[in-house]
Amino acid sequence: MTLANPQEELKGSGRRLAGVVALMARHRVLAVLGFLLVFPFLLPYEALAVNILIYGLFALGFNLVFGYMGVLSFGHAAFFGLGSYATGIVIVHYGMHWFPAILVGAVAAGLGAAVIGALAIRTRGIYFAMVTLALSQCVYYLVYQLEDLSGGENGLRGVDVYDLGLPGLELTLLDPLTKYYFVFVFVALAVWLFSRILASPFGAVLEALRENEDRARACGTNVALSKWLAFVISGLFCGLAGSLNAIHLTIVPIESLHYHTSGLAVMMSLLGGMGTFFGPFVGALTFLVLEDVITLVTVHWQLFVGALFVFFILFLPRGIWGSFLRWASR
Amino acid sequence: MSDKVKSKLTRKFPGVSRRSVLKSAAVGATAIGAGPLMFNIAKAASETIRIGFPVPLTGPYGSEAQEQARCAQIAVDQFNAGGGLGGRMAELLVRDDKLKPGEAATRTLELIEKDKVHFVCGSLSASVQLSVNAVTKARGIIYVSISQSDAINEAKDFSKYTFHEAMNPHMTAGAVGRYAFPKFGKRVAFLIADYAYGHEMVRGFKQAGEAHGIEVVAEVTHPLASKDFSPFLPQIQAARPDVLCLCNFGYDQMNSLKQATGFGMKQQMQVLAPALLYNQRRAGGAGAYEGVIGGANYHWTLENSVASAKAFNDAYRKENEGAPPSDYGAYGYAGVGALLDGVKKAGTTDSDPVIAALEELKYDKYKGTQYYRKCDHQSVQSVFIIESKSKKDMANEYDVFDIVHTDEASEDVLRSCAELGHEA
Repeated sequence: MTLANPQEELKGSGRRLAGVVALMARHRVLAVLGFLLVFPFLLPYEALAVNILIYGLFALGFNLVFGYMGVLSFGHAAFFGLGSYATGIVIVHYGMHWFPAILVGAVAAGLGAAVIGALAIRTRGIYFAMVTLALSQCVYYLVYQLEDLSGGENGLRGVDVYDLGLPGLELTLLDPLTKYYFVFVFVALAVWLFSRILASPFGAVLEALRENEDRARACGTNVALSKWLAFVISGLFCGLAGSLNAIHLTIVPIESLHYHTSGLAVMMSLLGGMGTFFGPFVGALTFLVLEDVITLVTVHWQLFVGALFVFFILFLPRGIWGSFLRWASR
Repeated sequence: MSDKVKSKLTRKFPGVSRRSVLKSAAVGATAIGAGPLMFNIAKAASETIRIGFPVPLTGPYGSEAQEQARCAQIAVDQFNAGGGLGGRMAELLVRDDKLKPGEAATRTLELIEKDKVHFVCGSLSASVQLSVNAVTKARGIIYVSISQSDAINEAKDFSKYTFHEAMNPHMTAGAVGRYAFPKFGKRVAFLIADYAYGHEMVRGFKQAGEAHGIEVVAEVTHPLASKDFSPFLPQIQAARPDVLCLCNFGYDQMNSLKQATGFGMKQQMQVLAPALLYNQRRAGGAGAYEGVIGGANYHWTLENSVASAKAFNDAYRKENEGAPPSDYGAYGYAGVGALLDGVKKAGTTDSDPVIAALEELKYDKYKGTQYYRKCDHQSVQSVFIIESKSKKDMANEYDVFDIVHTDEASEDVLRSCAELGHEA
């Protein structure tokens, strides 16, 4: 389950590929961003690329608690959805400018995570997964019932941000490539911030918690507070992903709060490789591209995606990127 | 059956003959010879008319969605057989929206960005059509919705690019209410699925009931996708209504009906189901549905009195081993058919002329004359009141409903333009 630091795995290896991987690991932010910069040109259409960015960011945020801290949450749809709805509602009902609206979305999700985290963080393992699932379902029904604000089952429509209104720049999100780079800017900032958090002493604490909670406590770590803080930070990232999704789709569907969305984050993290920096984006890419390609061929796409998932769990439990790192540094 | 659909869906170039290939090759060669400007003109004139068709091929309404796609393909085939738009053929691009609004929005973006569709038609849920509509209206693409919703008529969601071919809950429930209240009594109970569609039907019933002075004796809501209705049905029985209105859909409707039948409620009251669907009735069986009165946009036995219904049924039967089309399938046929009529009339695929043509259009695709009301582009059409037959009265397995009454096409049964928030 656990993965050693890739840089450590690489020690003593003189192979060229390993060298490249090490270089990427050292400059992981640049590597991710460099790839994402040319990314839309590699895919059949831009909306798919935007989805991968957004879900990649969502899985990245989720991976902080799942991969780095080693706690499985089944309630992250709540943060994705809260971010979406908060951004959507302040734009639709209060006419807020898109930039503060995105911040409102992230903060709302952070607050949600603070509350849910405070209630759930003392439980462990399967109990933690169940408590987060239950609380996120509460959020789902709450938003579902607030029909005047959220649109209920019909979803929230009218998040019409097209003209960015930047001084000196005439940018419209109706152009798919512009929309991609608009989302990219936010994802880039988030990825950089995420890397800083991981590199900080706090990042080390998270991994210590994953490896051995008792020892971390013995070393003087405030376990409950650290876990809670990680949960809140994770919520902020997922909320940002949700906000961007609201602007991308111009609607907020109620399904963004559904526990299927939580499952999506788990699946993408596992596919890509949990506890790796690139893993979430690799997972989002694999999942969404496969789904996109297979649905064009057959209506039984779930069968194939499911089989693939089982294959990874059984034979490549480190996920695509995790296995690649292993192989490259052997 | 599904293989057949697939081959239909993947067939890219219907009716491409060697001659037409040769012809276009000749045109192409001339055009290349004549320079790039000519080439562009030739390309625009011969470009296929692409219609995106997002429907939930997977999920609980999968078979209904495949039916819609089959019927829409018939409309496209007929258009092409008639020579298309001066030789320009039409093509249907079916996509799976998985019954999720977010997925539908992405798929619609794909259809617009990658496949460069000229029009979008489809959807099988209120929330999905609203999300498709949000994407298409921002990009100036005409969208013809083929499933029920009241919200899409309202000024907030409407745009000039939005057309609604399906009936809406308001007119369906209203028609059923006007037929049933004077006949069966004024004490009315509602069983409501707790989402927009359920509440929209209640509103339609209540407005229709005002004229008949109905008294609401019970209003019971149940969560969407309930399996067990035993907590809800006794409350209704206790209120002793004359009429029970089932304001739910699909499996909710089927399960609540089966249990109500088991509770002996049909002997105590008349059951109404505004959205009484052909395929749902066939899945649920004659026993559960027997005697239930509901509304429908279509039932195939209409062919006995309406010529266009006969033509549509025959075209469908030819490709589907003699089985008649379903009501929701007919929406797919009419939605795409009317759209292509508009294209032919406008002589172009540009949105604005096609909108103008559609607003003027009187079309009779399968059920008598229909037209799009100017203010909200709602298709004005007749509503059929149907009664589910008992097993012994059925002439064959498809003969499930009796058309007991027809509410003729009229704008009076719709909410007024002012009520919907439209100007003038």
